[in-house]
Parts: sequence; C-alpha cells; structure tokens
Amino acid sequence: MRTYCSFLGLHQCATIIPMLDKTIPGRTINIPPRSEIIKSIKEGGDLIAGVFPIHYPRELLRAFGIHPIEIWGPPRVDPSAGVSHLQPYVCSIVRNALAFQQSSGLDIVDLLLVPHACDSLQGLGSVLLDFIQPQQPIIPFYLPRADGDVAKEYLIAELKTLYIQLKIITGKTPSDDELQDAIVKEERYDEKFSELYIAREELPLSTESFYKLVRSREYVPGEDFVNLSDGVLDQRTDAENSYTGIILSGIVPEPMDLFTAVEDFGGRVVADDLACCGRRRYSAGRSQDPFERMAERLLSGPPDWNRGNSIGQRLDYLVEMIDRKKAKGILFYTVKFCEPELFDTPILRKALQSKGVPSLILEFDINDPLTNQALTRIEAFMEMIA
Amino acid sequence: MRVLRYLIYLWNAKVFGPFLIRLNLWLNARREKGKSRWNQEILSPPLKISYRNKELVAMHWLEGRYANLGKKVVWITSGAPVELFKALDFFVLYPENHAAICGTARVAVDICSEAESAGYSRDICSYARTDFGSMLSGKTPVGKLPKPDLLVTCTNICQTVLSWYRVLAHHFDVPLIIIDTPFVYHRQAADHAIEYVVKQLEDAIPVAEKVAGKALEQSRLEEVARLSKQATELWMEIMKRNTHCPAPISVFDQFIQMAPIVEMRGDAITVDFYAAMLQEVDDRIARGIGAVVEERKRLLWDNLPIWYRLRYLAELLGQHGIAIVASTYTNAWGELAHLIDPSKGLRSMALSYTYAILNRGTGHKLETMTRMIHEFQLDGVILHSDRSCKPYSIGQMDQRDRLIREHNTPALLLEADHNDSRAYAEEQVANRLAAFIEMLE
Repeated sequence: MRTYCSFLGLHQCATIIPMLDKTIPGRTINIPPRSEIIKSIKEGGDLIAGVFPIHYPRELLRAFGIHPIEIWGPPRVDPSAGVSHLQPYVCSIVRNALAFQQSSGLDIVDLLLVPHACDSLQGLGSVLLDFIQPQQPIIPFYLPRADGDVAKEYLIAELKTLYIQLKIITGKTPSDDELQDAIVKEERYDEKFSELYIAREELPLSTESFYKLVRSREYVPGEDFVNLSDGVLDQRTDAENSYTGIILSGIVPEPMDLFTAVEDFGGRVVADDLACCGRRRYSAGRSQDPFERMAERLLSGPPDWNRGNSIGQRLDYLVEMIDRKKAKGILFYTVKFCEPELFDTPILRKALQSKGVPSLILEFDINDPLTNQALTRIEAFMEMIA
Repeated sequence: MRVLRYLIYLWNAKVFGPFLIRLNLWLNARREKGKSRWNQEILSPPLKISYRNKELVAMHWLEGRYANLGKKVVWITSGAPVELFKALDFFVLYPENHAAICGTARVAVDICSEAESAGYSRDICSYARTDFGSMLSGKTPVGKLPKPDLLVTCTNICQTVLSWYRVLAHHFDVPLIIIDTPFVYHRQAADHAIEYVVKQLEDAIPVAEKVAGKALEQSRLEEVARLSKQATELWMEIMKRNTHCPAPISVFDQFIQMAPIVEMRGDAITVDFYAAMLQEVDDRIARGIGAVVEERKRLLWDNLPIWYRLRYLAELLGQHGIAIVASTYTNAWGELAHLIDPSKGLRSMALSYTYAILNRGTGHKLETMTRMIHEFQLDGVILHSDRSCKPYSIGQMDQRDRLIREHNTPALLLEADHNDSRAYAEEQVANRLAAFIEMLE
C-alpha cells in the first residue's frame, strides 16, 4: 500500500508540524498536517470518511480503500454555524462538529461515519440523517453496551451491515483475505500505538509532542504512523524521572498546551485514560473470521462507559495504571456537558482519595484557551502532590 | 426471624398502612369538599378518579417503605421491560417516578443539592441528581425508599440511564442488568438489533431468578404481559378521547394520571384504574365538559413536563382558553400497545421496547407530532427544550423549524428543566408564552 507521506515527500517538505526533540539538537519529527494528508488521499483517488468519536472499525474502512479522518470537534471553530440545530447544553465536541459541517469544513469527505457513543452523538447522527441531509452518505454505527457473547454476536452483525453499506457506496467487495490483510495491518499499527505508550518515558519527546504523535493516528494513514513512530522509537534514551507524574483522564486533551502547563509546574502526564488516546489501545483479535476478529478488537481495550464497563472496572484500571506508572495524582479533564464522564468522576475521585491518590477535576470547552483560573488550579495541584 | 419480618411487612404495607392512607385521604377529601387548588373558573374540576390515583400511588410508596422486609426489590428505568420482574414478584421501584414526585412536591432542588455536594455536576440529568441526593441523604417525600436487590437499566430512553445505573450499582453493590436497545436511526430496527435485545432478555432471566429466589413461570409472565397490554391500550384510548372538542382532559391531567401506567404496569389494579378513568372521561364527553372551561385553542406538548410548574402553566394557558390536549410524552406510554403480544414472549417484548419514541430518530418524532396535529386538530406546539433530557431535546430546533415552515403550525421552544427549577426562568417563560399566545390569536 502506498505511503502518502512518502508520496508527497512530507518528511522533507516544508508543510510540517515540528515536534520537539529535547535531546538530539537539530532533529525534528515531522507530522504532515491533515490538509496534506487529505490532499494526498484525494490525489491518489481514494475516498475519505469523516469519523466522529469514539470507537469504529478502521480496518473495515481501509479494506474498502477509505481513509478515516477523525473529527473530535475540531477545536476553535466558530460554533455559531451550528446554533440553529443544537441547544447550548450540548457539549462543544458535538456542537463544533456540526458547526464545522455547516461551514463546509466537511465537504471534502466522501462519507460520514457516526459511531453511537452518547446521547449527544446519537442526536448529531439523527439530525444529520433526518434534517440536515448533507451531500455525503451518513452511516451510524452502534457499539454494544452489553457484555459477553451477546455483544460480540451483535457487533459481528453490525459490522456485516456496515460492510454492505460500504459496498453500496464504493462498489467494491473486498474478499475475506483482503479483509484479513487490512485487519492484520491495523492490528500492527495498533501495536505500534501501544509501543509508544510503553516506551514513553524513554522517548525524547515533550508530553505535548508525544500526544501530537499519538493523536496523529486520528488522521495519518497507519503505514505512515508506523514510520513516524519508528522514527521516535529508534531514538530512545534513558528514562528521565525528575518530574511528578500524573494521569490524565477524560475525552480529549484540548488545548494541547495543557501538557506544557503541567510540565511548567514540574509535572508530566505519564499515562492517560483519554477517549481519543489510551482508551483506544485495542488488542489484536484472534479469530480467523474477519468480522469476528474485528469485533474482538473493538471490544478489547481499556474499560470504557461506551462499552458498558462498570465504574469499578474503570477504577481498577486507573489504580493499576497509577501503581505501574508511579503517578502521584489524576487530572480529570472533562468537556463541559459530557454526561458519561460527569457521572463517573465523583465515585472515581472518592475511591482514589481513599487510596491516597489526589485528583483534580477541570471542566473545559474545546473552543476555550487554557484559562488563568485553570492554570492556577493545575499549579496548586502540582504543588500539592509534588 | 424471616417470618417475623414478613409479618411486619404485611401488617404495615397491606393492612394497617392502607387503612391509615384511606383514612387520611378521606379526611382530606372532607376538608377540601371537592374543591381544588387549581383555578376552577378556568379549568374543570379535577377528575374524580384522581382520588383513586392518590390512593394507588400512596399505597405503592407505602409498600416500598417496607418492601425490604417482605420482597425482593428491583430499581428499574421507566422504559425497561418491567413484565419480567413483575412476574418474578419483585417490588418494582422507578427512580424516575420518585424524582418526578420530588419535583412536583418542590423538594427536588434541595435533594439535588445533596448530590451536588457529593460532586455530581449540575450538568447531569436532574432526575439522576434527585435520585443520588435521595440515595446519599435519605431525603424523600415518600417516607423511605427500599434498597434495591437488583438494578435494571434499559437504554431505550437514553444513554444517561446507563451512566446513572452504573453509579447505583457501585453504590449498592448489587447486580445490574443492562438491556441495551440499539438506537433506531432509520424507519425499521435491524433484525440483528432485535435479536440482540431478545438474547439480552434471555440472559437477564437467570440473573433475575437468582436474585428473586424463584423460577420464572411462563404463564405468570403471559398474564403480566396481558395486563400490561390492557392497561396500555386503555391509556391510549383515554388519550384518544381528546380528539373531541372540547378535550375532556388536559395534558396536565395526563401527567398526573400517568403514574400507574409507569410504575404499576402489569398489575390488575392498573387495568381497573384506567377502565374507570375511561368511563369518567366518556362521561365528561357526553356532558360536554372540557378540561379548559372555554377551550379556544388546542396545543401539543413535546418532551417531559416541568413538574414543579404544572398548575402555573395550566392556569396561565387556561385563562387564554388554551388547552394542551396531546403530548408526545404521555403518548409514548400507549403508542406501542399494538406491539405487545403476550403469546409471543420475549420477541414481542424486544420489539415494543426497542421502538420507544426516545429510541427512534428525530425525524420519527417530527412525524409523530405532525400526525398528532392532524388527529387532535391542534393549533400549535410547545416544545419544552429540557436541559436535563438531551435525547428528547436534540432535534427540537429542526422540528420546530419544519413545523412552522412545512406544516404551517406555530411552534414555540421553551427552555426549562423537568426537575431543576434553577434552570427555569418564570418571567422569560411568561413572556415567551404571551408572545406565542398572541401569535395564535
């Protein structure tokens, strides 16, 4: 499969986002911007799917020659374009997504995939389908909240339905072998994603750079993501531990200078429970049946309310993460109006406190900069746990 | 010891308590002499059946108070397949109903504050906050809530209930049954979605049986489903009577009289109650009595009620001769009666619970509203944009727009919250309603 970054020469070209490299002067890791990725995919004649949060089968899209570009907001767009469709008490991720669509930001994509994660995303999918009816096909996708075989059987059937919808849109009919091929590749990319997490203390990257790299998985084709990751993994150094480690939990780390703020106060995000990042560390499936294998992959991964996991499971996972990473505290970084997160945090915070793990909750809107008030609270929290 | 506990339960919940409730209601009725606090120059006198409703609801919560002594208790969402648990003889408690009672009694804000003090954000559903506040503080206007032995949540009304019941499960440390009903974006639910719900219902049975300590009898389940269907059909018939002009009951009456169809679905007394109510409604029609004394305009209400301002809204609208005669919310408890087939067991249950209005697309709700506008000869629509209910509220802005543009029906979006009066601004509501009423004239 062609690597678009190489095709465009993006590792050398000028349109790059440089990433900090703290140890090796003069070296940078260049992540191509979304616009370049989209341009290269379009020039290659492939299709693009705009994908809303959170979980979806990347490999199935890729088997049809469709490249997913994820839409987590995006932050800092003018939300006014969506106000005639959504009330102000809907979270900014969903409001921005609709505003972005309404201001033609998604015209470039060939289809929209709307995974069902919460009431707001459900509403977004429904309003798009029933009222806005954009030029592209809208495909909803429902991840089961039940447990065990019944969830897996449902998901297999849901994936088969998605296959048929993609077949109608593209006219392609990937064989089981082609599906398996796409699956194995995406599993390899997932593995690289996890490898970055495992090696993160040894990577010569600031926290913000690290998250820019892992979040590039939201839009960079997997094969290029592997190249970018290898470029970093090859430069491992001895782990630095002169910082106060914290865990970041929430949906999405916006604005990304949050990480710099934490570092400025002597801290470092050493692990996360973020919906866009750590909660998508899927394990490879085992089945030889492609649909079953895709379902196994999607149902794996850390505890998540989107899969119906209990708060106790989330708590155990966080406690294990804290112990393993020797973190001193947790920052719950919650998007305003995000009900699923807001329901879990009081119990999680109380239980963590009883185990001697301090936590801080910060609410934000993805259009807002990091406020002075937030900075003061982060500073006070870091001082307290240092 | 167990026998003694059961005897205490029987005495309090079935013998002495009911006697006291009846005595209290009788004394109250004598004191009030048929008068209502609602303005009877504008609105018709309350339904006689209201007395029986008060009695049923009071008995239900009285039994709840002692239920842990004599029965297994299940806490369940309003849209969940209650028939399974009724058939296993659980005492069924609906936290949403309890929250609505708190809202009507205007104690919800105080109870919500207890949850907020424990860290729960004001941005989560006010029903859930009321429930958590009550759970954490013990505050409730119904005396005392029994602790659950089992929790059941069904995602057909929202994803909020999944988050909500995960909190309850953690707090009470009891089994949680999740009935996950995939959202129906298109006209038909996918076959695999219905199959998924059926299998979850099958899986739920042994869990519920284990907690109940008894096996589910098919004949008993069919009987409960039959009673549930009968009550639902009667409720639907009552609402359909409002196609008459003047409408014999208002939606505000429906909000109050719907308690049994929600919390006592599957009981024989509920069937009797709605049969009697239907008779009274028919009697009103025969005598030409309308819910609003001088009905001039007829409206539809969309979304949950504003529980703490029912009387205010009924009187404000009533004084302009405006009757709210239909509601997508009360309609939701009757419209799926045709899908309930007691002989078809879990499949019929899966179908009827998957096709709940809140589990269907925003376009389907618009279709429901336009159908009701024609069926009930309505002059306009009030859409309550409910801060605490995103699945009901998202889509309303487009629905209002289509109602105005394509169906030539005046429609008003009214910002409020079903249980939290802090998110309700009376002056703004009054101004918006005044402007809307002027437009209707």
